[in-house]
Parts: sequence; C-alpha cells; structure tokens
Amino acid sequence: MDAKLARFAFALLITLLYLFLLAPIIVVLVISFDTRQYLAFPPESLSFGSYAKVFANVKFISAFWRSLGIGLFVGLVSIFAGLLLSLALSRHDFRGKGAINFLILAPFLVPHIVLAVGVMLVLGPLGLLDSYSGIFLAHLGITTPYTVRTITMSLMAVDRRIEEAARVHGASPAMVLWRITLPLVRPGLIAGAVIAFLISFDEATISLFIVSVKSSTLPTEIYHYLEYSTDPQIAALSVILILISVGVVVVVERLIGLRKAL
Amino acid sequence: MADHHLEIDNLVKTYPGALKPSVDRVSLSLPRGEMLALLGPSGCGKTTILRMIAGLIPVTAGEIRLDGRGISAIPVHKRNMGMVFQAYALFPHMTVAENIGFGLEMRGVGKAERTERVLKALDLVKLSGYGERRVSQLSGGQQQRAAIARSLVIEPALLLFDEPLSNLDAKLRDEMRDEIRDIQNRTGVTSIFVTHDQDEALSMADRLAVMSEGRLEQIGTPRQIFDRPRTDFVASFIGAGSFLTGTVVAPGRADVPGLGILHFTGDVPAGGKARFLVRPHRFVLGEGVNAFSGVVEHVVYRGQILTIAVRAGDHRLQADLPTHAATLPAKGDRVTLSVAPDDVTLVGEAA
Ligand SMILES: Nc1ncnc2c1ncn2[C@@H]1O[C@H](COP(=O)(O)OP(=O)(O)OP(=O)(O)O)[C@@H](O)[C@H]1O
Ligand SMILES: [Mg+2]
Repeated sequence: MDAKLARFAFALLITLLYLFLLAPIIVVLVISFDTRQYLAFPPESLSFGSYAKVFANVKFISAFWRSLGIGLFVGLVSIFAGLLLSLALSRHDFRGKGAINFLILAPFLVPHIVLAVGVMLVLGPLGLLDSYSGIFLAHLGITTPYTVRTITMSLMAVDRRIEEAARVHGASPAMVLWRITLPLVRPGLIAGAVIAFLISFDEATISLFIVSVKSSTLPTEIYHYLEYSTDPQIAALSVILILISVGVVVVVERLIGLRKAL
Repeated sequence: MADHHLEIDNLVKTYPGALKPSVDRVSLSLPRGEMLALLGPSGCGKTTILRMIAGLIPVTAGEIRLDGRGISAIPVHKRNMGMVFQAYALFPHMTVAENIGFGLEMRGVGKAERTERVLKALDLVKLSGYGERRVSQLSGGQQQRAAIARSLVIEPALLLFDEPLSNLDAKLRDEMRDEIRDIQNRTGVTSIFVTHDQDEALSMADRLAVMSEGRLEQIGTPRQIFDRPRTDFVASFIGAGSFLTGTVVAPGRADVPGLGILHFTGDVPAGGKARFLVRPHRFVLGEGVNAFSGVVEHVVYRGQILTIAVRAGDHRLQADLPTHAATLPAKGDRVTLSVAPDDVTLVGEAA
C-alpha cells in the first residue's frame, strides 16, 4: 500500500514539475490563437488569424530563410571544425593544448552579452558588422564548443584497438579516419550538427549586437517587432519556432537516436 | 640463419618517461611456418614486442627483420601483418564479410576476387553462412574466428595473436586452442602467440620464448622448456616442482643440506654448487636411488592424480602420484619418495 502511495506521489510530483516547466509554452500556445491585438491571458475567442499574419509578414519570412541558411551552414562548418579540434585534442599532445581547451570552454562560462560586446568590437574594425560572414563567424564561435563536446564524447567511446586493427590490416591513416573513425563517431557528428543548428537558429543576444538590416535573423526580427508592438503574431511565431525545434529533434531521434548520441 | 623468416635483434623498448625498458635486448628468430609462443607474467613486455613487430609503436633500439630486410622504417599499414587482438577489435559498423574483406579492399583487390577470398576465409574458420551478420550478432567464439579470418585472408607475412583466448570460457578456450593450431598448420602462416597461460603455450606452440621483466629468459621447444629449464624463473613459471640446492661432491652426486645425497645426470665439476628441480610427477612412492623419507603434510585429491607435500628434513617435496594404487598416502603418514637421477633437472649452477 505504502509503495503504491509513494509511486503515486512521485508521479504527481513529476507531472507538476513538467507542468511548471511547460507552462510558459502552453500559455504562448493558447495566446497564439487569440483574436485580440495585444498579449493577454486567457483569450476571449480563438482563430488562426495570427498564423496567417505571420506567414504574410515579409520581414519574418525572409528573416526565417536567412536564419535557416545561416543555421544549416553553421551546423555543417561547426562539425567540421569540431571534428578537427576533437581529433587534435583527444588524439595528440602538443604545446598550447591546455590553452585551446580553455578557449573552447570559454563560451560556456562567459555570459553571451559579454561575448556579444567582444564579438562586436572585433568584427567592427574588420568591416564585418551586419554581414553574413560576421554573423556566421560569431555563431561558429559559440556553437563549436558544443560540437567539440559531442564529437569528443563519441571519439572517446571509440576503442583505439579497432583503429589499430584497421591500420595493421592495411589502412593508411586517411583511410582509418574515413572508413573507421568517422562512421564510428557519426552519432556525435549528427548530434553536434543539430545542436549547432538549433543554437544558431535561436541565437538572439549576439546577433542583436552585430546585425541590423541586411543580415537580420529571425530572433532579431522578433526582438525588433516586440519593441513596437505586442500582439498574438509573436505568440504564433513562437509556436512555429518551437515546432521547428521539436521537429528537428524528433526527426533526428527517429533517424539515429539522438539520446544515444548525447 | 638465412632461412629464418623473422629475426629480432637486440630489441629494446623504453616507453617515454619510463625509468627502465619494458623490453630489454630481446633477440629471437622464427623459421617460416613456425608458431612461437611468447610466454611470461603480466607486464613482462609480451604485448610490447608484438606491437613493435606490427609497427604500432616505434622501437627504441635494435632491429626487426623479415626475410633479411629491416622493417622498422615501414609504416604499419604496409607491413602486411595479421593481428588478432584480445578483444577481437572487429569493426562494429561492418558485417562479418566486410570485416574480413577490409584488408583486401585496402590492398585494392577487386570486388569479385574479394568476395571469393572472403568466402574461403569464412569456410576456413567455420563461419560459412555468417558473412552477412553484424559483428554484434556473433558469439565470443565466433567473433574470435572472424578476427582470425580477417587476418588470414590477406595472407600475412606474420600472424600475431595477443592473448586471443583469454576472453573465452574454459570449454571454448580448449576448442579454439585446437582450432587455431589446426588453422595454423593448414595455412602454414608463421605466427607469434602471446599468452600468460603455460598450458596454452606448451600445447600450441612449436617453440616457447619465456620472458621475465622485459628480458628473454629462455627459448626452446615445449619439452626443452619444461624438462630443461635454464633458470629458476623458467622452472617455476612453467609447472610446479621442488627446488634443491646442493654442493657437488663427486660427478653426478650432490650433497643437499638438510636432505642428503642427490644423484643426478649432468656435468658439474666437484666442489661447485648447483640448483636442481624435481617435477612433481617424477617422484614415485617407494625406495630407489634417490630416496627421501618424510611425513605427509598436505594432500589434494585431483581425480587422476594425488598431489602430496612431504616434509623431508629441511625440505618440502611436492609429488603427484597416480590414484590407481590400492592405498593412497594420507596426511600424517610417513612415506618414502624417490626419483631417478635422469629425472632430476639441473637448473643451473648456483652462486
Ligand atoms: N603505452 C605505454 N606507456 C608506458 N608504459 C607502458 C605502455 N604500455 C605498456 N607499458 C609498460 O610496459 C610494460 C610491459 O607491458 P606489456 O603490455 O608489454 O606487458 P604484457 O607482457 O603484455 O602484460 P599482460 O600479460 O598483462 O598483457 C609494463 O610494465 C607496462 O606498464
Ligand atoms: Mg599484453
């Protein structure tokens, strides 16, 4: 009896915890169907009007495509950089290894707002503010630590003897990398790419400092929109963004098992 | 020496930062087709030697020659070696057939020929029909066979085994022992086999190289190693026995303090000290040339044999007696053990 009660209490606790965590999302979801032109809860009447407006908003749509492109490119390049860094850091000893390790950790430790100021000060003199190159470099800087992490985890799980067996049986170092190491760290590569994409796609703080009109991303467009108006369009857009993020994770999970990769 | 396939000459390996070498001036050679067992306790440098031969680690000093040519400068993937790892190290993301065909693929062998040779290799290791399986769908013994096939299929100059049987259970180990020996006989591939199991070494190898702390103690046929160990270490590492030290008083006769006169065969000048070994199964119950009486201190019944420890003077003699006798000695009994002079092994001259 006691065990049953305990299990019930535990289930209740977990449910409440999830409700608490999900509450903001649920509120946003409900508001997104509101017909009023300001943000309030609960709504009076429901419709898809806000969604229609989002899709008709040229600024949002073009920023969405920009963000998508930047995110995909950042994801790709980030796993490439992450792979090289992970291989160097986990397979070789060289001078300055500690420094690089620390640098890679830095974006985890330093608040994004501080990073943003730094990135702006660096990109300014280079003439890269409000350019694709600039935002791409900035996003690469904050995502690569994550890809290094996921790829290093995968690399550490690879039994060195397997690579040695390949070498002994005739594989050149390049062949070992291509035929053995890469396939074995594939989960880490995919997880890294997904995380890098999601971070880049969601990133607002740094982007706000370095973009204005030409290369504005979806998060910066949302921010600017919010400065002047607060209506359910924003809620609808948020729901769309959440669905995209969840969609990416679910697809990857179905395909390779993201949980295994993390 | 010209017909020696592999020659190892004064090989030394000192790992970076290590105080003393892990492999210390080891020299040995293998004729083509031989199976050599590298035997020794954990940490004596067996794997290190194997890895140097394969080229996975650089040598500190000395030379490794194949057919008279030094191979130290040849990179791993061009040495044409086969290696069977302790944990098999099969490629988990490939099928069994892909694993076995990997070496051929790396050598640029065409698909048709590859398929054919893989099938033959599968057949050789009794894995026909398992080619399309994933590695994870094989049992330990089957993975072992697949690993052997992967190495054999490239027709390696040398086949290196690093404790291939230690991950298998006892029954499978015996089976694979015969199997590996059989495959080696049929293919005639020159092999080196690392183990710390003396039974394995004695039963599988043409010759044994016994190592201790990086040095080669003795190399010889199983019989030579077992019956004519040259050092205490070899004598005690391979099989049990009673060690006796005595002063030679006349040719073939030594005075062992606390025991008596021991007759032996062998040349040791009178006045010198010598070390002797008597294997437990060489003792017989009853009077003889070398007869020693004492009290049975310890008895272990092992089915086919009875192992007893007898306190004789200052010595404790260990004897394995056949169990088909009418009465067997029991603890506390007074017995006489004797050993023929030919069965007394001269281990070496003592200091
Ligand atoms: N990569 C390494 N770096 C430093 N020392 C090492 C390294 N590999 C082995 N050693 C040392 O070299 C010695 C020999 O090791 P090796 O692995 O050759 O022993 P082994 O005879 O194969 O032992 P085992 O039966 O336990 O496998 C050991 O003292 C070990 O600690
Ligand atoms: Mg070893």
